[in-house]
Amino acid sequence: MSTWRFDAIGTRWEIETAEPLVAELRARVDAVIAEFDATWSRFRPDSLVSRLAASGGSLETPGDAAPMLDAYRELSDATAGAVNPLIGQSLNALGYDAAYSLAAQDPEPAPAEWQSILTWDEERLALASAAVIDVGALGKGRLVDLVTAALSEADGGLVVDASGDMTVRGEARVGLEHPYDPSKAIGVATVRDQALCASATNRRAWGDGLHHVLDARTGQPVRTWAATWAFAPDAMRADAVATALFFDGGPALADRWGAEWVRMSTAGVAERSANAPVELFLRKD
Amino acid sequence: MITQAVTPSVRKGAAVAGIAGLLVLAGCSGATDAEDATTDSAATSESTTTDSNSTSDSSSTASDSSEYADGTYTADGSYQTPETVEQISVTLTLEDGVVTDVEVTGDPQARESEQYQGQFIAGIADEVVGVALDDLNVSRVAGSSLTSGGFNAAVEDIKDQAAA
Repeated sequence: MSTWRFDAIGTRWEIETAEPLVAELRARVDAVIAEFDATWSRFRPDSLVSRLAASGGSLETPGDAAPMLDAYRELSDATAGAVNPLIGQSLNALGYDAAYSLAAQDPEPAPAEWQSILTWDEERLALASAAVIDVGALGKGRLVDLVTAALSEADGGLVVDASGDMTVRGEARVGLEHPYDPSKAIGVATVRDQALCASATNRRAWGDGLHHVLDARTGQPVRTWAATWAFAPDAMRADAVATALFFDGGPALADRWGAEWVRMSTAGVAERSANAPVELFLRKD
Repeated sequence: MITQAVTPSVRKGAAVAGIAGLLVLAGCSGATDAEDATTDSAATSESTTTDSNSTSDSSSTASDSSEYADGTYTADGSYQTPETVEQISVTLTLEDGVVTDVEVTGDPQARESEQYQGQFIAGIADEVVGVALDDLNVSRVAGSSLTSGGFNAAVEDIKDQAAA
């Protein structure tokens, strides 16, 4: 078993393979990540989304735009607008910006009519006015899928883990980290030939109730659910469901997409789908 | 339709009072259509009724300085909680400038969504406990993400500033 660790797109990555990855495969992974970051990072002034942010515009549709934005359309509809790819300015307003200022201003809702501002087809992606695209609800999952595909030639078992968003070829036992105590787990998942994506409000949290999972309708951080986990054939959809589970409509979207899930409330109560491959540690009274 | 923005921490009762107050003002300016008195007796919760009483008190006080046309006024309002957008409808009946009846029909959308969600959730919710990772045979964990240097450094910087 060989593990390759590195930092990219603002998070820690671990790629586990039966044999050490040859240089050519590592280079492929590096290239896939670099291209994705250059397109979608709102933390880079030269990225595509940063260039569009100031005044909008139209350009050739990047390769990942249609799959991700098509999924966003379903995600937005399923959550009655709580998830929205033009959430970037709302995140900036709370201080989660390119400079990591972490200085919260008043919350700003994302534009509810985002589907008339941001449009796309096979050839062109257009932003009708200034807005900050943020694909955080599913972008990391999408990149995990791309890295997994780049390693399709690697023999044997494979785990691509971008700090909680992962694909597993083979099987892995994964602890479901307690959102309030990272030394503990609230359960164990058995992940077999699928993706598991986790989201928790304690990560990327700064200051009084501020964290990175916002309701686009209010621009405010969510407060009912503390952590979510979703299982799906691909990481993009698992990531999207993990985000949707912070809102009404998440369980219905999971059902429609054939995803299984677990979520834990801020009061320490867990809910799960019927066939989630998990053992939860329940309080015995 | 009157849309009322209310901070998420304000619960339904306060929002109802706010929307009802707004409705009366709208009636004063003639912006709301007077309708025939409705006989629809949709469920109104007890807590809402309590709020409605306080609303009628304040409304009748306000009416002392203004003339309102008699009639029944209806307005829809919405307000946001952290996870949902709640819809309510308020109907007021005015006679001689005094509110004689208030009816609030609350939030069918949220009830519907609760029912809709229920069918996808297995069993009842259970309280979970944490078990030390050292005691578990797991190869990795999924949850709070190890974040890269920039974010963590910024958080540390804020802590330092707060402590200074």
